[in-house]
Amino acid sequence: MAIHPYPACDIGRLRRLLTDQLPERQQSEVAEHLVDCAGCRQTLESLAGDQSWWSEVESCLRTHAGEATDSAGLASPLHEPAEEDESFTADFVVDFLEPSEQPNVLGQLGEYEILDVIGRGGMGVVLKGYQRELARFVAVKVMAPHLASSGAARQRFVREARAAAAIVHPHVMPIHSVCTTARLPYLVMPFVACESLQQRIDRQGPLEIIEILRIGLQASHGLAASHAQGLVHRDIKPANILLEKSVDRVMLTDFGLARAVDDASLTRTGIVTGTPQYMSPEQSCGEALDARSDLFSLGSVLYAMCAGRPPFRAESALAVLRRIIDTQPRSLREINPNVPEWLELIVARLHDKSPDRRLQSANEVANLLEQCLAHVQQPTTADLPEILRAKPRVVRSALTTRWYLDRRVLAASAAAAVLFVGMWLSRSGPRMQQSASLGTTPQITAVQPQPAQPQSIPLQVPMVPLGESWDGTASDLQQLQLDLDAVEAGAKRIWDDNLVPVPVTSPDVSNGGKELDR
Amino acid sequence: MPSSPETRPSLMLRLLNARDEAAWTEFLAIYEPLILRLLRKHNLQDSDARDVCQQVLAAVACDLDQWKPDGAAASFRRWLFQIARHRVIKFLTRQRPWSVATGGTDAHELMAAQPDSQESLTAEFEVEYRQQLLLCAASQIRGEFRESTWLAFWKTCIDGRSIVDVADELGMTAGNVYVARSRIMARLRVRVAELQEQE
Repeated sequence: MAIHPYPACDIGRLRRLLTDQLPERQQSEVAEHLVDCAGCRQTLESLAGDQSWWSEVESCLRTHAGEATDSAGLASPLHEPAEEDESFTADFVVDFLEPSEQPNVLGQLGEYEILDVIGRGGMGVVLKGYQRELARFVAVKVMAPHLASSGAARQRFVREARAAAAIVHPHVMPIHSVCTTARLPYLVMPFVACESLQQRIDRQGPLEIIEILRIGLQASHGLAASHAQGLVHRDIKPANILLEKSVDRVMLTDFGLARAVDDASLTRTGIVTGTPQYMSPEQSCGEALDARSDLFSLGSVLYAMCAGRPPFRAESALAVLRRIIDTQPRSLREINPNVPEWLELIVARLHDKSPDRRLQSANEVANLLEQCLAHVQQPTTADLPEILRAKPRVVRSALTTRWYLDRRVLAASAAAAVLFVGMWLSRSGPRMQQSASLGTTPQITAVQPQPAQPQSIPLQVPMVPLGESWDGTASDLQQLQLDLDAVEAGAKRIWDDNLVPVPVTSPDVSNGGKELDR
Repeated sequence: MPSSPETRPSLMLRLLNARDEAAWTEFLAIYEPLILRLLRKHNLQDSDARDVCQQVLAAVACDLDQWKPDGAAASFRRWLFQIARHRVIKFLTRQRPWSVATGGTDAHELMAAQPDSQESLTAEFEVEYRQQLLLCAASQIRGEFRESTWLAFWKTCIDGRSIVDVADELGMTAGNVYVARSRIMARLRVRVAELQEQE
């Protein structure tokens, strides 16, 4: 009686109450009873969890609910996402600007009168501004508040803005100035009436070959200028390639600025703000990047112009990354028969999974595209570049998987890689024949490897302990690369000693390249 | 001789299997915030923590190829959580004080000397992991309840406000506030246990 002074005290009912198994009427009865009965309150609470559970939940949720990672917003009432979005843009712009007395002006930002909001991305907002002293319109890109609150993000913003400002090139969007002292850092660019290549593709579908070459050429010139300054763009995609409206001049924009955002968005559960579709395999794997990563992305941009859609598509961001790493995109000429074989070949040369096998520089790409453009404009007087006249597809199909193989095989162990050499030698003949039988031009079928005896040749292979997997650091990767080099050197010796050298990329001279433009 | 590498289907592609994809999604929901928090605790600033987090997750994604099904239920999920745990602790063990990178900003540059001890990191990881499960469970179960039920729980248990106040604010009876918060507590406990069991 002392603990449960009311007839309503019934532990079974409390149990069912917790799991919502009581009829509504009884539920409110018990609820009412709880107000008066401390004993039942206590029982109910201990049924829900013991004292330590209550305190664990309390301290954990209290500590973490306010964090930036609290994407679920546990502490606050639920909102419609759309509402939040709009309020974000509006609040952010209003809060940030100084009031202005001019009519038709949203507000003042430094020396710029802000007239309009042009766009909004993951990184921040782009505003249209007017600079009175110089009587010119400008585009002002303001960093989003959640990024600006991080010191490192601000530094990155400034560093990369400076780097981009150092590139003076007709095909790179210039940067007038950078302001880092404002509450939200911003950078100022010319206001150019333009559309992005993405908008052009969305509007028009696949572009004309001559247009593709022209845009690709200008973009690679812009990239070459940036690479010459040691700056890797990291985010080459149609949305970052602007086409000036009147003259259709190509300008690259957003140098590395979007990177932190895209990196973060990639793995965000379910929500992808950035598109990983134009990333390179090394980017997808989180490995070290160099300028050749941009070239892979450029290949994807060329592909998108030809096909009207990106090369690697899938339902989720992760699946896209998997495709970038593992698969070859669908043949361009199947999608768009107007695409000449040599253009498909250029894309393939940029799309090699291994950076080492790609075209190696933006300048090289620019040269190729330039010659192709001349060829398309004057087929009779301008020949295609020599390396595009042959059709070394057999080689490509064997080599594009190489990078992929290296990583798997070597990650297992260098010892296994030795096995692989033997296997590779014993299999290379049939494999080439197999590729040839898939409808590509057979150039190597006549060559049969002689019986190779890898075990008779001493290979200096540094051993990696079995079962120790590659753990993703640069030094380990370098070590593995050394291992690979040793294995390859060994393999090459075996190959050289036993086999007839095969000119795999020699141009078919009799063809003269003229009939290949189909 | 093992089956040749070039004919072996990529195990990564296996993830296209819907159930495994679900396991991956759940994995991200738990691990991404967890890794970020651990990195911040180790003095990385937000955007840098995101960079490194991305590297860790990408490394795990690249590990996926090494998975071999053992036939047991939820084998992929268990395996995934195991290697991720291993990787995170390994990354943290090598953690160096973040220095502002000069140009290149790869995670490798962020990792350097002064490793914490493996044991203390493992312990730290377990604590954070447990908390992350709780946070994750909280966001998962929230939708199962009426908004007022959740807010009654939150305002009394977490914000520490009085039952009467909160009942008043939410237009509930005091009795229903008692019921609401105990219900959430009970459900949370069950959900956390479920999440743990799946490993």
